[in-house]
Amino acid sequence: MSDNIDFKQLWSSGKATVPDVSEIFAKADQLNRKIRNKIWRGNIILSLTIIFMIFIWWHYHPQLITTKIGLTLVILAIISFLISTNQMFPLLARTDEETDSQHFLEQMIRIKQKQEFLNKTMLTGYFIFLSIGLFLYMIEYAGRGSLIFQLSAYGITFAWIAFNWFYIRTKTIEKQQNAINDIINRLEAVNKQLLD
Amino acid sequence: MLFEDIYRDYWNKVFRICMGYVNDADWAKDVAQETFIIIWKQLPKFRNESAVGTWIFRIASNNCLRQIERQSRMPKTELPEQIEDKADPDREWQSKLLYKCIAELPETDRIIISLELEDVKQAEIAKITGLSESNVRVKIFRIKEKLTQKFKQYER
Repeated sequence: MSDNIDFKQLWSSGKATVPDVSEIFAKADQLNRKIRNKIWRGNIILSLTIIFMIFIWWHYHPQLITTKIGLTLVILAIISFLISTNQMFPLLARTDEETDSQHFLEQMIRIKQKQEFLNKTMLTGYFIFLSIGLFLYMIEYAGRGSLIFQLSAYGITFAWIAFNWFYIRTKTIEKQQNAINDIINRLEAVNKQLLD
Repeated sequence: MLFEDIYRDYWNKVFRICMGYVNDADWAKDVAQETFIIIWKQLPKFRNESAVGTWIFRIASNNCLRQIERQSRMPKTELPEQIEDKADPDREWQSKLLYKCIAELPETDRIIISLELEDVKQAEIAKITGLSESNVRVKIFRIKEKLTQKFKQYER
């Protein structure tokens, strides 16, 4: 083998048959549909929950303002949960694909950092709103029962909330952060290659 | 400028760049198709501020870099199966080996060398990657050395 390998010739002999251009349009259509379905799914869950809350409101005629505030907070919690589970994230982070590699990588890192912050904040918000919401909501109905009923209703609810806050919330945030941090690290490593 | 013309003129070039990056024909086809979807969507807004080639290669390179997000998939370091060049089996094997060697380089080196082999001017490569021209020149020199070394090692 000589010292001068003709890489250019070897490179350009790598040809693939050009797929029909209609494949591109079909794929674009498929991607659009996927995004639309995802948004729809999120919206349907959201709407059903809100309808359910309004039904409770309308059917049980809560007397106390606490119940109404409680229901509102639970709805807010669900909205923030949907945002934190990325249903709406693609709408918040658009990338500019036409920029140079260096800017593109920096942009991706920024977006991932934003996502990390958003996930953490939203998830914490979700648990706070849900817990306070439930607490306020229960005041009216638990108040109608006996003392033992009240104690056990609040006891069980709080145990459940504590479990969620200390175990599930921490675990979920950790998992999300590890995944995002891993991507950020890799992006930063690649970005560093350009600076070398 | 018609999308169909761009598609016909650039498909092979874009596909090869993606292939150099991921070294997997199905995956490269996916990335190339995503690139053309973006080109198709952005074409009405394209204002000839840069050469169309530079613009296309920027989108293609960024789409390759986006693959970093996909955790489960790492570029293959096996010989690709699908590149067709039946005329000369020996050269076919060498061509596959070249793609394999490129896929083993660091990410940005893969893009730079692919553009160089695609005969993109160094000034354009600088515009695509965001590096200075002199930096590109130095990098290309180093990458070629590395590539030659790898290539020979495998050939032995």
